[in-house]
Amino acid sequence: MWAHEAWAMGLMFVVDSLNKSFHTESGTIDVIDNLSFSVEEGQFLCIVGPSGCGKTTLLKIMCGLETPTSGNVLINGVLPNPQKQKFGVIFQEESLLPWRTVIQNVEFGQEICSGRCSLDIARKYMSLVGLVGFENYYPHQISGGMKKRVAIARALAVDPDIIMMDEPFADLDAQTRWILQKELLSVWSQLKKTVIFITHNVEEAVFLGQFVAVLTKRPATLKSLIKIDLPYPRSRLTPPFISYREKIIGMLQQEIPSI
Amino acid sequence: MGIRSSYYKGLKSIIVGLASIVTFLLAWEAVFLVMNNPFFLPGPYQVFLAFIRIATLGDINHVPLALHASVSLYRVLLGFVAGAVTAIPLGLLMGMRTTVRSAVNPIIEPLRFIPPMAWIPLTILLLGLNGYIFIIWLGVFFPVLLNTIAGVRRASITLVNVAKTFGAKDLTILRKIIFPSALPEIMTGLRVGMGIGWMCLVAAELIIPSAYGLGYLIEEYFNYAQTDVVIVGMITIGLIGLAINYFMLYVEKRMFRWRVDVGT
Ligand SMILES: Nc1ncnc2c1ncn2[C@@H]1O[C@H](COP(=O)(O)OP(=O)(O)OP(=O)(O)O)[C@@H](O)[C@H]1O
Ligand SMILES: [Mg+2]
Repeated sequence: MWAHEAWAMGLMFVVDSLNKSFHTESGTIDVIDNLSFSVEEGQFLCIVGPSGCGKTTLLKIMCGLETPTSGNVLINGVLPNPQKQKFGVIFQEESLLPWRTVIQNVEFGQEICSGRCSLDIARKYMSLVGLVGFENYYPHQISGGMKKRVAIARALAVDPDIIMMDEPFADLDAQTRWILQKELLSVWSQLKKTVIFITHNVEEAVFLGQFVAVLTKRPATLKSLIKIDLPYPRSRLTPPFISYREKIIGMLQQEIPSI
Repeated sequence: MGIRSSYYKGLKSIIVGLASIVTFLLAWEAVFLVMNNPFFLPGPYQVFLAFIRIATLGDINHVPLALHASVSLYRVLLGFVAGAVTAIPLGLLMGMRTTVRSAVNPIIEPLRFIPPMAWIPLTILLLGLNGYIFIIWLGVFFPVLLNTIAGVRRASITLVNVAKTFGAKDLTILRKIIFPSALPEIMTGLRVGMGIGWMCLVAAELIIPSAYGLGYLIEEYFNYAQTDVVIVGMITIGLIGLAINYFMLYVEKRMFRWRVDVGT
């Protein structure tokens, strides 16, 4: 166990020899196998892996929704516990409360974290993600991209210690995705939060992350942790960008059985 | 197009509706004339006069129609509230906890298939002449309970997870996620329960002796062989039931503006 020492070394987020299996009627399924990596305070880490490899399961363990079969996740030296720490989690599926307006959704996290919500803070994050003017719309009245923005604003509004995102832009069109990626980077550079961003889109990972963790197919283990040594803002067309991208795509292709 | 055509559509459906009512009244009048027996079937005009009489002068004891209706409404409201405050919490618990569901279901499931009317004799024995509330409670309880359970079970696990990642405790999750998710179903349960409760009440009033209530009015005037007043009672029951249903639908519509409307 090196987790506690790692934290002492300034690593705020540590995944240490993590294992996770599910037991179902149709047998046991191993989803995560001896996975270890760590993130420093303020870092932007992307995690890529083939579909079904266990990314969402990993996210749920990281934010305390699931418990690992063995191994640990430590955030600032303690087990993830949303009642003690502040998490900004953005889920893969739609996660807005349909009976609340946009602004009420943004206030939701604060309402739970601190028992009260400050309209000013909610408005601040609304404008940070470009939602001014849509405060009183209901989720079914706004577009998919806007819903993601609301979810991001809601997560940011609690002033989280760490932000965890699970393929937040996966079901958006390419243009909207690019816009939101840029906005996310600008928010990150303003707020200096630690971000863990799960995706299966390699280009997205290379565009966003300071590091990219590549996972194997299920059961997920760490295949490689790659430092993306490119300054922001990044261009998707420069040769180094392309070579990072191709390198990671090559790694993932080894994980997908050829057809 | 839009507004004009929908305006004409609305007007058209009103005219068609009125025509249909007039046709019904004419048919009634025709049957009345053919039968020529006001005891078996009084005509619409005779019923109208009876309505005015009971509404203004009151019945044999000078109790006006409005008072009978109010007493019935009051009884149904008591039973309705009793049904709601018992069924909703139990439904939430049963929806959220499998253990509670397994414990309560074997008792509740068989009871559910006993019509409230079948309880009337036992109710009179055990609760005496004020057993109305229990009969109505029976009618309201089951639809509200079943709908509440269904609503809870339909709540999205993702939304529950959202609340959890913000550190919500069980009670907060219940209040802020589960209850609002289940609310549309709960409201449907309440509306259905209200309808059933209203019917149960009138049935109970027909049997349990009292000097007030629309059911009593029908029963009493049947004994006096005044069928016109019996029909006045019936129509009043129908109209009040209709009004209650519309009121509850209106409340639902106002409450659930956030829902996507399917169709128009
Ligand atoms: N609660 C559970 N019980 C049983 N098996 C589960 C459970 N949750 C996830 N799994 C299994 O774990 C595996 C990984 O699922 P997970 O959702 O973590 O994948 P993912 O990498 O997020 O996939 P995707 O990219 O498609 O979102 C799947 O095979 C899934 O069937
Ligand atoms: Mg997933």
